[in-house]
Parts: sequence; C-alpha cells; structure tokens
Amino acid sequence: MYKTQKSFITKDKKMLDLINENCSLLICLQHFDVDFSVDNSTVEELCVENKINLNAFIVIANLYNGFFPVDNEINEIDDIKPVLHFLKKSHSFYIEDKYPELKYYLEKIKNVHSSRDFQLIEQFFNDYFEEVMEHLKYEDEIAFPYFYSLERKDKNAQLKSFSAKEYRNHHTDIETKLTDLKNLFLKHIKIKSDLNTKRKFLDTLFGLEFDLKIHSVIEEKILIPLIEKIEVQQNG
Amino acid sequence: MDKCRRNIVVLEPSKIVYEGLYTSISKSEYNFSFFYVDSLIELETLMLKREISIVLVNPGIVQNRLKDFANLKKQYSETRWIGIIYAYYDNSILKQFDNLFPITEEVTKVIRIINKICNNKTSCKQQNEHLTERETDVLKWLAKGLSNKEIASKLNVSIHTVNTHRKNIMDKTSIRSLAGLTVYAVSKGIIPLE
Repeated sequence: MYKTQKSFITKDKKMLDLINENCSLLICLQHFDVDFSVDNSTVEELCVENKINLNAFIVIANLYNGFFPVDNEINEIDDIKPVLHFLKKSHSFYIEDKYPELKYYLEKIKNVHSSRDFQLIEQFFNDYFEEVMEHLKYEDEIAFPYFYSLERKDKNAQLKSFSAKEYRNHHTDIETKLTDLKNLFLKHIKIKSDLNTKRKFLDTLFGLEFDLKIHSVIEEKILIPLIEKIEVQQNG
Repeated sequence: MDKCRRNIVVLEPSKIVYEGLYTSISKSEYNFSFFYVDSLIELETLMLKREISIVLVNPGIVQNRLKDFANLKKQYSETRWIGIIYAYYDNSILKQFDNLFPITEEVTKVIRIINKICNNKTSCKQQNEHLTERETDVLKWLAKGLSNKEIASKLNVSIHTVNTHRKNIMDKTSIRSLAGLTVYAVSKGIIPLE
C-alpha cells in the first residue's frame, strides 16, 4: 500500500526519513541553502547547523508536505530573514533553472513539430515568460530591498512610497497562466512529439506549478502579515 | 460512473473520525474532493466558495444551533445532509438530516448510501465540455479584446449574463487567463489567426 498522506514535520523528525517520504523536500532544502547530505540529523539539528530559524523552516517545509499553517504557527516566526532568503533563492531557481528548462523542451518539440497550434503555445509561453521575469525583477529590485531595509531598521534606505499594502496590490498571480499552459497541453491542443520530451516538459511544468503555489502561500500568508507587523512596530 | 467530481465535507470535531471517513468513502465509485471543518461557521465560509454536494455531520455540532443549521440547509437546498450517529440524539435533531448512519456502520453500507445520493441527485451538474453557441460568441469577442460591457452591448444582453457565460467558458475549458482563452479560440478555429 502507498501512504497517501505525508508526515507533519516536527523538530524531532529525522530529515532523511522525511526526504525518503517526499522528495519534493529537496527543493525546499535547496531554497534554504541546505546540503542534501543530511546524515542522521533531526530537523532541529539541521536548522541549528545551518543557522535557520526553526519555526520558519517547519512551517515552510510542511507546505511541501501539504499542511497549511494555522495563525499561531505563523505568529511564532519571529525572524523574517529566512523567509526572505528562501523566497529570493526560489526566484533564482525559477529564473535560472525551471523556465529555461521549459524553454529548452519547447525548442526540442518545435524541431519536430512546428505547426500553427504549436506556434500559439510558444507565443503564449514567451509572453507569459516575459511577464514572470518582469514580476520577479520587480520583487528583487523594489519589494525585497524594502523588506530587507525594514528588517535592518534602516529608515534611510526605505522607500517612502512603498509598503506591504503596495506589494499586496502589485502581487499578480503568475500561477494562473502556468496552469492554463498545462491545460492547453493536456486538454486541447494535440502536439506531435516524442513522448519522452513531452513528459519531461509536463513534469517540469507540474514541478514549477507546485513550487509556485507554495511560493504564493508564503508571500501572502507569511511574508505580508509579518511585514505589516514590522511596519506597525516601526512606524506606529 | 460519471466523470464529475463532487465536493464532500465532513463537519466533525474529531480528526480521527474524519480520517476514517475519508479513507472509507474514497473507495466509492464516485470522485470526491474532501474537506474537513469543525464548526458551522467554517462550513458556511467554505460553502460560499465551493459547491458542496454532501455534508456529513456530527449532530453534536449542530444540536444547539438548530436555527443556524436550518438556515444553511435552506440556503443550499441542493446539498444533501447526512448525520453520523455515535450517541443518543433526540428525534427532533435526527429529523433534520436527509440520511443517517451509525458510526459502527459497515463501510460498504456507508458507500451505498453515498452512491445512492449521487445516483439520485443532480447535485453534480452534468458537465458538457462543448461550448454553446452563445458561449462561443462571447469567447469570440473576449479573444478580440472586448470588455464585458462591450460584449454585453454587442450581444444585447446584460453584463451579468456575459459574466455567467464567461464563467462557464472558463469552467468548461479549464483555461482562466484571457491569453490562454485566445490560444484556445484560435486552435479551435473560433477566431482566425491574425
């Protein structure tokens, strides 16, 4: 029998067991800059060793296991740095890894199949890709520097016109189009190509969709409330 | 077996009981998405967001809030309400439910009750994935970049009607972005490639 539900991650669980149960946690570790040779370490030991806030790690890693945080778990995260670091790392992962991978597979499919329908998909992807890059650039260049300056209590570096509210408004949903791309492929448009390339393309798409969903939850449910709390503390 | 997926909610304080029901009912021939709530308020919020076919209820949760419960049932008349019985309850409470089963009931019988409800009820709207003529018209204009208001005046219908068509188009195609719908429309020959 397969186990249908994954474990709820607590500080005393062994990281190795958790990885064996859900290999998506490797991505989570990568975003936290933690090496995969976890030996026999428990979650807590791993966090101490890598200087990561334990509560932040547990809440985020549990998202990968399908557990949505409740308010008091979020309130226990008293350090915003690991959350910001995690999100920034995932940005690089999307920009340098996942999107180029999708582009590569699309190119490969195009070599065998360059019909009108494929051109539509390609155009859709390219437009979407530009949008994503623009969004991530905005976060890296405007939103995140502001969050870091708040964290350092560096009032001089803070943009007067910026706030968590502004960020919330600008926070576009980049998952919708990704899901559309998946559905166009799976439901509507038949594209002849070798199954292997198509599967790899879809595999990457599913992986990216999963990570982006978690990314959005972290931004909306953890980062924004934390930032708002700091703003109140600093500005009254 | 129909393809359509139904939403089923368990209103019950015990997570263990929920897990048991989840595992058992998953073996039904129907497709279900499961939700777990432990209060009426939580259930109300959920029902605003999702169309719920069946609610399995621990009567203990509603027995002191019968008025609220009755209101909720009235509001969602399509939903079927099943009581899970594991204590003595007065008849006035039990009669609030469409069906009842004791917690000691055999899994196969519980599934039979659930299947029967799904067979009888139209609680799952038959999903025809083909767009109607009107929906195709709306999609055509949407893909050409017209706003809901402009489409409403072109087709001589209310904005509300356009919104309903738009929602149906998105549900049927599973495509939610305008750019994605445009790709769909071109690939199906609904609008020409420019």
